[in-house]
Amino acid sequence: MKKRVAIIAANGGLFDAYKVFNIATAAAATEAEVAIFFTFEGLNLIHKEAYKQLPLPEGKEQIQQGFAQANVPSIPELVGMAQEMGVKFIACQMTMDVMGLTKEHFVDGIDVGGAVTFLDFAKDADITLTF
Amino acid sequence: MKADLVVDAKGLACPMPIVRTKKAMDTLQSGQVLEIHVTDKGAKNDLSAWAKSAGHEMIDMIEEGDVLKFWVRKA
Repeated sequence: MKKRVAIIAANGGLFDAYKVFNIATAAAATEAEVAIFFTFEGLNLIHKEAYKQLPLPEGKEQIQQGFAQANVPSIPELVGMAQEMGVKFIACQMTMDVMGLTKEHFVDGIDVGGAVTFLDFAKDADITLTF
Repeated sequence: MKADLVVDAKGLACPMPIVRTKKAMDTLQSGQVLEIHVTDKGAKNDLSAWAKSAGHEMIDMIEEGDVLKFWVRKA
């Protein structure tokens, strides 16, 4: 049976995005079934516009160069790759309502659900991570 | 060593070497050998762990300068 990895993405910075999508794609590449629940600022990571220029932590802006030098894929590339490998994205309905966002604000192919949608997936998870 | 397919993941950072390797492996049949070239130092442990977790056999690993070469037989 496939390993199951459940991830909660609750923060919206560039570092947060790399933590979430690197682990998610690596897990998917290792034949795991992966779902990410995006909530509060984590929604930025799949927001059609926001995810192209996620903020670096204050005072760490110079690290931008390091990403380029290390030839690290961009967040939109990682998002596309994750989806291609079957990683499931669940956007938190409640946060979307609070922030006035609809499904159209996000990348294609996401699910919108409540906490129970994620919990139902996570209850049988082998690994659960929160970022 | 003779490989059925070669993946060039040189210059790529984590998690790309693993992603490329997985995609290439999906195209092979059981028993065939995949050769992987990487420069990401993290891949040394990562590819071994990936092979173990997917049940593939890590046949050999060599370092040629900055390039790490792996041979993995598909389970």
